[in-house]
Parts: sequence; structure tokens; C-alpha cells
Amino acid sequence: MLVTGIKSKPVYAPLRYDAGGRYHVMLGQEVGEAPLLRVLGDMSGSPEALARTRVLYVPLRAAAAGAAPAAAFGGAGVADVRIFGTTAALLEAFRDLLGRALMGTRLYVAGPESFIGLAMKIALEFNLNKDEIRAEECGTRARRVYCIHCRTTTENVRTNIVTCGGCTRSLLVRDHYSRRLAAYMGVMADAEVPGELPPIREVFA
Amino acid sequence: MTEAATIEVEVTAIDQVTPLIKHFRLAPVDGGTLPAFSGGSHIIVVMHGAARAHRNPYSVLSPPNRLDAYEIGVRRMEESRGGSHFMHDSVRVGSRLQIAHPVNLFGLDKIARKHVLIAGGIGITPFLAMLEDLYGGPVPYELHYSVRSPEHAAFLVRLRRREGGRVHLYCDSEQQAIDFEALLGNQPLGTHVYVCGPGGMISRVAAVAKDCGWPDSHIHWEQFSAPPVGDAFEVFLARSRISVHVPPDQSLLESIEAAGVEVPYLCRGGVCGFCQTRVLEVDGELLHNDHFLSEAERASGKTIMPCVSRARCRSLLLDL
Amino acid sequence: MSTAFKPDETFRDSFTFRNSEAAIRRFPMPFPEDNYMYSVNIEPHTAGPPGSVTEFPIDIDEHYVAECKERALVLAAEPLRFQALPHMMSAQWDCLELIMESLARDYPQHFALARAGNRWHWINRPLGINRHFTFGEASSLDRQPLDFITRQAQGDWVVMDQREGDLWTEAGMVTTQADWSLDFDVGMTFKEWHGPVPIAHELGVFDRALKFLLNLRLGAPVRRLNWTMTVHPRLDTSPENYPFWGPDRAAVTALNAGDLVNLRVELQGLWRLPRSNAVVFSIRCYLISLRELVTVAKWGRRVHRVLKNLHPELVDYKGLARYRDAVVEWLAPYDDGVPTTPGTAPE
Repeated sequence: MLVTGIKSKPVYAPLRYDAGGRYHVMLGQEVGEAPLLRVLGDMSGSPEALARTRVLYVPLRAAAAGAAPAAAFGGAGVADVRIFGTTAALLEAFRDLLGRALMGTRLYVAGPESFIGLAMKIALEFNLNKDEIRAEECGTRARRVYCIHCRTTTENVRTNIVTCGGCTRSLLVRDHYSRRLAAYMGVMADAEVPGELPPIREVFA
Repeated sequence: MTEAATIEVEVTAIDQVTPLIKHFRLAPVDGGTLPAFSGGSHIIVVMHGAARAHRNPYSVLSPPNRLDAYEIGVRRMEESRGGSHFMHDSVRVGSRLQIAHPVNLFGLDKIARKHVLIAGGIGITPFLAMLEDLYGGPVPYELHYSVRSPEHAAFLVRLRRREGGRVHLYCDSEQQAIDFEALLGNQPLGTHVYVCGPGGMISRVAAVAKDCGWPDSHIHWEQFSAPPVGDAFEVFLARSRISVHVPPDQSLLESIEAAGVEVPYLCRGGVCGFCQTRVLEVDGELLHNDHFLSEAERASGKTIMPCVSRARCRSLLLDL
Repeated sequence: MSTAFKPDETFRDSFTFRNSEAAIRRFPMPFPEDNYMYSVNIEPHTAGPPGSVTEFPIDIDEHYVAECKERALVLAAEPLRFQALPHMMSAQWDCLELIMESLARDYPQHFALARAGNRWHWINRPLGINRHFTFGEASSLDRQPLDFITRQAQGDWVVMDQREGDLWTEAGMVTTQADWSLDFDVGMTFKEWHGPVPIAHELGVFDRALKFLLNLRLGAPVRRLNWTMTVHPRLDTSPENYPFWGPDRAAVTALNAGDLVNLRVELQGLWRLPRSNAVVFSIRCYLISLRELVTVAKWGRRVHRVLKNLHPELVDYKGLARYRDAVVEWLAPYDDGVPTTPGTAPE
């Protein structure tokens, strides 16, 4: 069974401004602020594009909250900046925004993969495809893991083997990734010989 | 690729629906039903003319749930190499033709949130069948149909009767034109646009859509190029070890087929890329007329689509 | 040929599945030579010789009734083995038509289909089903069309929508699979779905296969064979149930391999569907125990050689790591070193 090197694992690239888009929606979580500011920097010569740009950002860490991020995005020339207290609130606002958005919209997502995955899942509902979405992974590599046996998703997984939050089996985390579930596949690690487990290591720091 | 067998059909009805367009009904000679198909499909019609066979692609315009016959619309082309003239002048009720199984290179996107259909002239035909698939479904759609003048608006009565306000007609003669900027600049996310009509219309829609920020994957178009006429040339088929003469009014693909060599094809209109063939040598210039090859592929001089492209040369060596 | 069904065979617990001598003779051997590597081994799905598994487009054999019972057991425990995204409804009806038409035409003694416009009447005698319904009208069947018909067909069925120059795995009935999960993979592109397959991506196999399948023509289906091995004649080797069948792998020894281990061959058929322009992928599983297999001398020699020299990544991918050596040891006495003739037919 292939564990690593699986082609369904998403490949991310540094965010770049896509001048082909007419509207720009930017989502950021945690350290995702920096890549978004970089894209906005690339747009500094296009005030019309900046005027058609919306930023939705959730800082997560208390230290980063408050007025600082809003000021940073505002300083980059974006008028429409919304800062959220939770990821769930951001995603709800994002879904609402896509419901009213027009063709020509480009989506930029910056943050940990778990955040990118949840944002992409919503984008898929609106038939946005790979040509309309850009994502840059930054921050924690912790994974969402879907237990193939009991269908529970365990969040924030950092180790090669994780105890399922649903059925408590020891799951081996594979690179096989579902965009629909925004999660990696977890499969019982010691099914063939109970207790025969590889050393547990932190691999998704 | 394996080829499905061709189907023998008989022409059971012909209508002159506009000054330039004839509407044909093709029923299976054995009286059974024809294969089911999806809106946007085309068939290749094989016509056995006096001098040679023509194989032209035509969109199936009849409802996909009506399989006792297929209907097609044929516009008389001014610079026809014979196919459309043959259909207009030589085919009668009772004539026998052969057709291939339908192929769909212009299908509806199944997860689109809205469909915008844009037709110019004879380009209405694939949409007639597509509308059947859309009618009554949950996804909104609209049709924008542009013609020279009201008398050229084929199938309009039938369209309006059912689709009502979803059909928007534009007549050149009344100085009406589709405002592509307004149309494409104001569509909800997840919309797909489909265009079939003259080359100029297709490139205009593509350019405006791109300008409005639409990605290519949301822009669909179909235009079957008729193989253009050109100077005669010689082609040598390296693997078959035969030489073939390509006369001015016959395509490279037709000439190769006439010499008894089979080349796999789907659309015969420069769209699908299926007949793409490796060029081993050419002592002149390749004249690419397809819509498939990239600029880089054209520039390489190593590949050609024999269904519509030719060469200006004394001889051409192909890997066939 | 009128098939005598063996309705009481089991594919779990008591594992009473066996092949008759006729079933062994028609077994689709996947190895035309003494070694194995991936290739785009696709060929036209045209009629094979009478009695062979490719005589008809959709094969019904002596295990039909028992396999349908096994599928019902799997679905009762896990309804998500059937999945269909909402936009796949017309493809579901296409599949229903394909299967009903094929079975009624090729096995008239077992199945009948009468069509009067959209009013259809379907009879499945082996399973005792007699059903009137309206084609295209979901409310006229008590299940979704693909669910309804694939409960009456052997093998797994995956339906792929075609868009954006790709094939998307967006509906299916998967209960007899070699360790992959439709529930997890539904919604994936062709290459994402095949992501867990090693080596083949690097060989360009999926690029070529995808390009080929995007141009698959109506009326011109194709097929290929694939294979793996399974301990016990167990059809449901799903990742979902791996905790239950995984331990079997540790039980194989050079003494019991002949009875425990089965060669598992998938006859994969691919059709373009007419109304939806989707592509349906049928994955029909045939099982044969090593003891049954060595009754054909050439097959014993050949399978021994293939397994002995199998690429290590394939040994791992196919889940053979724990017992391949035991199987090779059990097969060794059946390989006298005599050269084999090309092709799969018995010498």
C-alpha cells in the first residue's frame, strides 16, 4: 500500500497576482497574512483591481488579533477587509460572498492546508475550478484525517500514526487526499498483526 | 481507437427552413431505433458522390429522447467542396446515406450553475438538442441567437413556442447585435458559455469572456471547419510505403482514405485532435487550418491534422 | 449455454465459493508472458469465443446469484458503498439501460426487457424480480437507477463524468473491490483516483489511458485485465473493512497457501454512455484458488514465475508483502522450468 508519493496530494505554489481575473477574493488564516500582502503588493500599480478585491482573514492567535491586520491590508490599498474571530465565521461569510460573486472572480487562499481544504470545499460547491483558485500553504502542516473505517475526521494530526477520534483505532495517515472531504485517508495501521506498529513520529509539523 | 460500425439511414423528410438551410430527417433503413445521444453531439454523414465520397460532420438537432430518426440542418456553403452542395442538390427523400455513431465534443458542463448559449446562423443546430437536455431542469439557462435577418432565423418558431423569454433573437438587418460585454460581464459564478457560429463570433465571445476574467475552462465552442481548397501536392506515407496525390479540392485525410489507408478520426473538422499525424519531412510549408494544435506545435513543423490542413510543397512525408 | 447457478456459495465466514471445472477453464488469465509490468493494455471489447468471459459484453456466470446476495449483505451494513453525485442521474439511467439491454439480449433464459416508449418491464428470473417502471423517472423505482440495476449485476461499477478534459469519478457501486474506497474517492479526477498506484504514473500510463478514454466512442467499448491476490475467496476487500480481513494475510503459510490464496482478476470494461456522455467503468472480479489454478499446468508455471520476479513496489501495492514468499514456495513444485508458450490459453 502506497503511503507517500500519492498523486492526489495537492501541490501548492506561491501566490501570484492573476491579472486575468476581474474580481479578487483573498482568504487568509494565521500566517497567511504575509502571502496575501505580497500579492497585494504586486497589485499596487492597479488601483482598479484593488478596488475589486476583498480580503477575509482570521488571525487565530490572540497576539495577532485586533486592529493590526486590518491596518496592514488597508495600507496595501484594499478597502474591503474583514477580520474574523473564528474560521467557521470566515467560511460562512465566504460562502455568502460566493453566492453573490460574478464570473471573472479569482480566489487566493493562504494558510495551513487544513484551512485551504475547507475553503476549496466551499469553492467546489460554486463550480470554481483549478483555473480560478490559487493556494499557498504556510504555517502548520497538521492534517485533517478521515478514518476510512468509521468515517470520523480527526483534526490537527501531526504524527504518522494517530488514534482515531471516533473508533480509537491506530490510523496510518496516507498521502491520499480527497478535496471533497478536505482530508487525508487514515487506515488501520496494525490490522494484519495487532500491535505491530511503526515508531510514532511527528511528521506533519 | 476502434471504430463503431456505420449505420445505414434513409432520408425520410427534407424541409427548406431558410433560403440557405435545409432540414433533413434520417431514419434507420431497418426501421429500428438509432443510438441514444447527448445534446451537442454530431454525426459524420457519408455521402457517395459521383466522383468521390464526402464525409461531413453535422450536429444532431432532434431531441435526444427521439430515436426513430436523427435530424440535421445543412447550410449551403458558397465555397463548398461538394458536401453541402451534394446534400442540397442531390439528396432526395428516399436517398440512402451512411452515418457514424454520434460523438459529443460540445457537451454541457454537468456541474455548471448556469448555461449561456450563443448561436450564430446555422450554429443554432447543436443548441436545439442541448435545450432538450436543459428544459425543465434545475439549472438556469438562456439562448442568444444572432441571424442576418428574420427569414434566416431557422427553427425560431419551435424555439419560442417552448422556451419563450429564454430565447433572445438579434437580426443584423435590424441593426441588433449581442452586447457581449454586458452579457458576459454580469454572470454568476459557475456559469458556462457555449458558442457555435461563424469564426468571427467565436473569437469575439472568447476574447470578451477572457477580458471579463472567464477562465478558458468555462468557455465552450464548436466550429467545424470545412477543409479549405488549395494547391495540389504529393504525400508519401512512410509506413504504408505508398504515394498519394492530394488534388486542390480534396483534403489530405480524404486523399489518404481514398488510397485505402485508414486514419482514425472523430470530428473531421479540426477540433478533436484525433487524426493528428506525425510529419517526418516536408520540403515546403505546412498550412495549418485546425483549432487544436498549439502555436508551438504548429511552429515545430512535426505534426499536422490531415482532416483540414494541407501543405504548400512538392512532397510531404507522413508517419502513416 | 444455460448457467447452473450456485446460490448458496459464500464469500465470507464459511467461504464455500468454488469454481467448477468449466469455470476454471474459462478463467481470464491476465499474464500473456512469464513476467508482469504495467502497460496500457486496452483492447476493443469485442465478442470472444463461445463460453469465454468475453463472449458477451457483460458476463454472467455460475456465481451470479451468490454474488448478488453478497452485495446485498455489504450494502445492508454500509449503504455508502453506493454513491452518486446529483448531476449523475442521466448517467445512472444510461447504465441501467446498458446492463438491462445486454443481459436481456445475451441471456434470454434468465432476463427479459420489454420497452414501450418509456414504459419498461424488467424480469430477472434468477433473483425473482419482475418490475414495471418509467425510464427516466426516478420515482418509479424504489432505489436510484444505478443502485437498482447494479444490485443485479456482478462486479463493481464506477461512472465518470467528462468535463474540463478529465474524467471525474462521481457515481458507483463498489462492494467487491481490491482495497480502494469509493466513499473516499468520489469526486476525484482520473489521476487523483489512481493516485495510490505506484510506478504507473511515472511510466505515463495514466496520461495515455486518460487521453484514450476521453475519446472513447459510443458503440465501441474497450476492456483490459488487472489482477491482485486475495486471501480466501473474499469479494469485499475494502479499506473500510480492512480491520476484518487484514489479519488473514498473516495466516498464510507455504503449506496452506494453495487453499487460502486466490488470484483475483479484474475484467475491466469501459463504455461511453449515450445520454450523459459519461464513461462507465465495470470492474468484474474473478477469483481462483491456487489449487484450482495449478490444474492448468501452464498457469502454475507462469504464475510462479510472475510472482517470483514481481517488482518490489508492486508486491507492496498489491498487498502481497506478507505472504508472497509463501505463495512462491507453494507454487514452486508446479514449475518444472519448461518454457511456456506465449498467450494465456492452456498449452
